[in-house]
Amino acid sequence: MNLMGLQGGQYKPLSREQVETVHKAALQILETTGMTYETGLETTADMLEANGARVDRDEKRIRMPASLVEEAAAKAPEQVILYGRAPENDLDLSEDRVHLGTGGAAIKILDPDTGDVRATTLSDLYNVSRLVDQLDNVHFLVRPCIPTDIDEAEYDINMFYTCLRASGKHVMSGVNDEAGLHRVIDMASMIAGSTRALQERPFISVITSFAISPLKLCTQSTLIMQEAVRNRIPVALSSAPMAGSTSPLTMAGTLAQLHAEELAGITICQLTSPGAPLLYGGIPGMANLATMGYCGGGVECGMMNAAIHQMARYIRVPNYNSSGLSDSKVPDAQAGYEKAFTAVLNAMGGSNYIHHSAGMLESMLTIAHEQFVIDDEIIGSACKVLKGIEVDAEHLAMDVIDAVGPGGNFMTAAHTMKHIRSEYYASNGVTDRKARNRWAAEGALDARQRARNIARTLLANDKSYIPGDVDQAIREKYNIILPA
Amino acid sequence: MTDFTPIKECLVSLDEARLNDLITQALDGGAAPSDILNQGLIAAMDIVGERMENGEMFIPEVLMAAQAMSRGVDILKPLLGDEGDADNGRVVIGTVQGDLHDIGKNLVAMMMESAGLTVHNLGVDITPEAFVTALKEKEADILCLSALLTTTMPMMKQTVDAVVESGLREQVKIMVGGAPVTQAFADEIGADAFAPDAGSAAKQAKALL
Repeated sequence: MNLMGLQGGQYKPLSREQVETVHKAALQILETTGMTYETGLETTADMLEANGARVDRDEKRIRMPASLVEEAAAKAPEQVILYGRAPENDLDLSEDRVHLGTGGAAIKILDPDTGDVRATTLSDLYNVSRLVDQLDNVHFLVRPCIPTDIDEAEYDINMFYTCLRASGKHVMSGVNDEAGLHRVIDMASMIAGSTRALQERPFISVITSFAISPLKLCTQSTLIMQEAVRNRIPVALSSAPMAGSTSPLTMAGTLAQLHAEELAGITICQLTSPGAPLLYGGIPGMANLATMGYCGGGVECGMMNAAIHQMARYIRVPNYNSSGLSDSKVPDAQAGYEKAFTAVLNAMGGSNYIHHSAGMLESMLTIAHEQFVIDDEIIGSACKVLKGIEVDAEHLAMDVIDAVGPGGNFMTAAHTMKHIRSEYYASNGVTDRKARNRWAAEGALDARQRARNIARTLLANDKSYIPGDVDQAIREKYNIILPA
Repeated sequence: MTDFTPIKECLVSLDEARLNDLITQALDGGAAPSDILNQGLIAAMDIVGERMENGEMFIPEVLMAAQAMSRGVDILKPLLGDEGDADNGRVVIGTVQGDLHDIGKNLVAMMMESAGLTVHNLGVDITPEAFVTALKEKEADILCLSALLTTTMPMMKQTVDAVVESGLREQVKIMVGGAPVTQAFADEIGADAFAPDAGSAAKQAKALL
């Protein structure tokens, strides 16, 4: 059952008037409060000034008029296609088409054998990428964890290599610097056959956390972002304020500030390379007011992420955001309900590229194999909601009702057979609906244990998406740490 | 030697039209009707039963398979001759008095027929006396009692007691089933077997014979 790319938009937490109010507030923030920057972005500031922004170099403040921002935003493409290695994994990011996948940069994993929490390794990154490759409802692969066992200088090339070898789905990740970006583009070009072939079907894209909320441009990430758009590699303009610490405590204020940050980022990109493909990357989050850490599992995360898609849609740019996080430490009932709530709300909101949706625990700190399997089921169910209820002659089944007649049953009707495998969501196997005695006979396993068994089965299938000769060539040029 | 794999695969994949062609072809090729029945159709229904137990096949699909099988048997029946009356075991089945639920019980009946047993389905709301009469008339080997309601479960016990009083208990194996029924309950009322679903019920019945 293919449930990828269905149209959301059934849930709109903001009215049309509220969307316009938030948009106007964001324009006013950029015009009066403005964005600040640090040393290293002088050229970027000059570019903005030359196009009508007011730059105060003593105060390090860039104020942008509404006309500049709106004209630049209008140049951003309304549709961005992120490609898989094979066309069945292509993601059409436009309108309210919904895709969900992994995300994050977790540094801990619940060990698949012992269940104990430990640091993530390159081998973990490979294994979870193999899981993502085989889980139908996880639509793309944002590298979900950091290989803490390798040198930081080796991150960029090795994280992309590992993901691209293990999975045929679209791969997105951040990079450490512009040189890292160039190396990654070069390696992906080797896999594609040429840089041109890569640009025609970019099966990689980058995340740049260009904004440090509130309203500050990050020098390194902004430079990477500009370099990516110059190279026409799609870029997600990630900005993730936390209501209560790095944005106002109130949801409306968080949305307005975040929309302002996104408009500033889009303006920089479109002045740098007009028409370059990018994703509006506003991720409205919440501070855990008890600790000031990130609160991933609040139901309001689902509400605000649905709302931020409305803001992106208003300026006609596809969006990247987040749902499916949980603050629970283990795959338990809390993880289940927190993830299900935000996933279904954000999917019904129509967000185009929803990351963080599979595998994560403890907000964004931990991953677990079994959680990827459970989340695949949650995402599939959320996407099924988008499919809606078909009401036509075939689905109304008037003739079948008449033929079966009062007191009969529908079990052996040809109509039942015709729709039996398509009308309802088909579980990936983690959901138990057996009779108690059979369930008990099979070991009385709970969802977590069943998911762990499914993950083990999936990981027994190994496969490389990089042909041997290309793999060899990449290894001659770069320090690839994952064994051949 | 005919390879019955295509017939089995065809029945398991619910391709009824092709199944009938394959049966005709096998007959033309000189296969014995009883082999087609036992090694083809009944063997396929064993697979269907297993898949049902594993949750891989849905009940409506199992029913379709049973229907397809029964139409296949219609082709074979005239050719089976005396063989066709071969006594594979006779079953009397019904839902106990006071209980009107029949879907699960019918499913068990169908799976047992598909397994090659001769099944007399008495229907629902059957009194202990009616069960005893049927056992005598049909010279049954197995009695299957169904109940869905916790309130009608005691009627299973009364039916078993009636069989004991009639003097037939030694000749008849008694199986019980239905959503609230458990192995413990079966033991408590003196039944011989309990099955949690239709696929295993057919398997159990054959094992009891």
